[in-house]
Amino acid sequence: MFAELINPYYLQVASFMLINIILGISVYITLSTGQLSLANAGFMGIGAYTSALLTIHFDLPIILGIICGALLAAICGILIGIPTLRLQGVYLAIVTLGFGEVIRVVFVNWESLTNGSVGISGIPHIGREMLKSFQGFGFNPSAIGLQNNQFIFLSIFLLLLAITVFIIWFFRRQHFSRVGRAFAAIKLDEKAAESMGINITYYKVLAFAQGALVAGFAGAMYAHILAYISPADFAYHRAVEILIFVVFGGSEVIWGPVFGAFFLTLMPEVLRFISEYRYMIYGLIIIIMMAVRPQGLIDINLLNWFKNKRETRRQKHGAGNQKDM
Amino acid sequence: MVLEIKKICKNFGGLSALTDVTFTINKGEIFGLIGPNGAGKTTMFNLITSMFIPSSGEIVFNKENINGLKSHVITEKGICRTFQNIRLFPQMTAAENVMVGEHCRSQAGVLRSVFRTKSQKKEEQKIKDTADELLEFVGLAKYSEVVSENLAYGQQRRLEIARALASRPEVLLLDEPAAGMNETETSDLFDLIKKIQAKGITVLLIEHDMPLVMKLCDRIAVLNFGKKIAEGTPEEIQNHPDVIEAYLGREEEDELYA
Amino acid sequence: MLIEQLINGLTLGSIYAIVALGFTLVFGVLGIINMAHGEIFMFGAFIGVMITSTLNAPLWVAFAGAIIITAIMGYMLERFALRPLRHKQGVSHLAPLISTIGVSILLENLSHHLFGAGNHPFRASFAEISFQIGSITVYLVQIVIFVISIVLMITLSFWLGKTKAGKALRATAENLETASLLGVDTKRTITMTVIIASAMGGIAGILVGMAFNSVTPQMGLSMGLKGLAIIILGGMGSVRGAMAGGLILGLAETFIVVYGDSGYRDAIAFLAIIIILLIRPQGLFGQKIST
Repeated sequence: MFAELINPYYLQVASFMLINIILGISVYITLSTGQLSLANAGFMGIGAYTSALLTIHFDLPIILGIICGALLAAICGILIGIPTLRLQGVYLAIVTLGFGEVIRVVFVNWESLTNGSVGISGIPHIGREMLKSFQGFGFNPSAIGLQNNQFIFLSIFLLLLAITVFIIWFFRRQHFSRVGRAFAAIKLDEKAAESMGINITYYKVLAFAQGALVAGFAGAMYAHILAYISPADFAYHRAVEILIFVVFGGSEVIWGPVFGAFFLTLMPEVLRFISEYRYMIYGLIIIIMMAVRPQGLIDINLLNWFKNKRETRRQKHGAGNQKDM
Repeated sequence: MVLEIKKICKNFGGLSALTDVTFTINKGEIFGLIGPNGAGKTTMFNLITSMFIPSSGEIVFNKENINGLKSHVITEKGICRTFQNIRLFPQMTAAENVMVGEHCRSQAGVLRSVFRTKSQKKEEQKIKDTADELLEFVGLAKYSEVVSENLAYGQQRRLEIARALASRPEVLLLDEPAAGMNETETSDLFDLIKKIQAKGITVLLIEHDMPLVMKLCDRIAVLNFGKKIAEGTPEEIQNHPDVIEAYLGREEEDELYA
Repeated sequence: MLIEQLINGLTLGSIYAIVALGFTLVFGVLGIINMAHGEIFMFGAFIGVMITSTLNAPLWVAFAGAIIITAIMGYMLERFALRPLRHKQGVSHLAPLISTIGVSILLENLSHHLFGAGNHPFRASFAEISFQIGSITVYLVQIVIFVISIVLMITLSFWLGKTKAGKALRATAENLETASLLGVDTKRTITMTVIIASAMGGIAGILVGMAFNSVTPQMGLSMGLKGLAIIILGGMGSVRGAMAGGLILGLAETFIVVYGDSGYRDAIAFLAIIIILLIRPQGLFGQKIST
């Protein structure tokens, strides 16, 4: 009964959705200081390759591999973040784009290490490893009526879900604090923020490093879920895809990228026939959003409006029509 | 002497905006910096707060040379400013704006903020309380939850003062605080600046509203074409021949005696 | 050998320069980095392929067709992706950049559907004709490309410097508001700029098709990023900088293939972006960027 509800394919889609949500959040964090990073696909790649290579060649436990991958991505984030502080807006975006491309070229060409454009396969699979260690404790999925691969995908999904919830919780709390106010002040008026005693260098690099850390983490998870990575996974298209989650969902509040990644990962799965035109639709979405609603679908006003609606219309049911906004 | 400006020069390309300007500000006084448009007053503010670096000369704050320090360090040391063309954080509420001002007087970093330790909660509460007090102080208590871009012009000016006060400055630099205010607002502003002085804060003021400057300031320095042409009490300034010649006599007579 | 490589580098570099000119015109006038320029260039190349291979028409028809189609695309870009963002309150300066990224991804995938993902050979009737000067082999194609590029650059320089429309464009680039006070129809000038830039992209597309004998939907992205690198190298909005930067990149790429590791050829452009922006953000010929 329970077992029939668990379809590995759906769980796989849901897991990628969660990874996309994490990636969307990684762009949102950097953007919350007004910096657009197009290097997050590159950071994701650094996380993925680091963790994959460490676990394959040094038999490092997956958890350590993921942590190393995320940390190395964060260090790269700091390294690229510090010198680029002098650059603003569009220039920063271009440098990060260039950085992402350099990373990809390195992955393609450093064949002795990365296996070139063929990519790396046989990366330890996090679900299977979890199954193994559970079995080591004498637990068998059949005890709760699950097949092995159902258990694998379910455990990945639950793990990612817990991590995603933690990340959202973490950055929401940060947002409503002294640090979050400093981020917002820098985004709204950098000069004024500095005059009010905010060390903008520190906070901008912090935001950059946090974004890189989260992207690197998502990349490492991606590597251990798919068990196969190649440079193409972390190219320009990935950078644009992540950007779309934020552009579509919204860049002002953390729920924006969450919703964007959720909806845009689900859409091609539900509507099979459009999946072929996915990137064209992405392109159209970007153009339309920028012209009509540059802050994305979900913004602070919409959230407040929902809150009010809930309070004033407790008795009446039926969700309001979003399009009124 | 809390702030000493020593022989400050500032050149932009080949043009000199300030030449050899020297004056000192005593603790607790209200010091006016006046002069025609383009005389270099705002440039002086930008130099004091390190938004620009002087070409030569020294700025000494509490016996310490503060040339070339980062802007945010200067705020931490106790000098904070407002802007001629109001630079609030437009999409933040009034209270949030003031809370940002308290940034350098609080410590909580990422981890303490996220895990909400006891000290962080206490600090956050204190930040909120101080913000409420300051809004009350400038007469904006009712508007604490209003997004600052929706406030009236005069209110925005006062909010900017509250935000600057939140950094607990020893010296407060006000850049044309009365610009665009009507008479009642200006007289409220007079009271507010006097109240700030009563708190023991030294005020350095750029202002074009001459009656206000003359009533308010203890001492005044006059800049013209980047040079200081006079310094003294309001009476001395009003009777100074160079000032009358360079500034008052030429263009804004009516303003002075209005 | 060296001279042949030099010629190869100059041919490649002059194409790069044409692509970069399209970028620099748009940046100079609008202050926008047009991320879709590479894809418009790629469409130009495909139009060339269609006209010469499928219709068997002569090369000049291909040029005319590519210019017309890419000019129309330029108009659409300005009308639907850029104009709606102009003069809008509270729009971040990143919005036009993001919007053109949208156009680029739309066009790239549109070309996948229209032309297929594979490689299309570009047949110029004189592709195999070459001259032997001493020990050096020079292909006619290279000469044609080089001549067209030079003519195009000279025409553009003349047009910008001497004609009324060119002057209006420069005035608009200098300061939009002042230009409009002086009676320049800035809306028209902006539209015209984007159209001209796109048409130049279209011409460059055909030249690349001729030079490499192959056209793919992916070439838009890589050429777009290179064009970006060139204008950053030469200075954003600088016409001279775009020409010089194009030649420098073309030569550098050619020589790294000969004397270094060909795999890193594509990385040169991006490393150049990063290094230049960190050391001399205004570029070789640009004025200092004020923030």
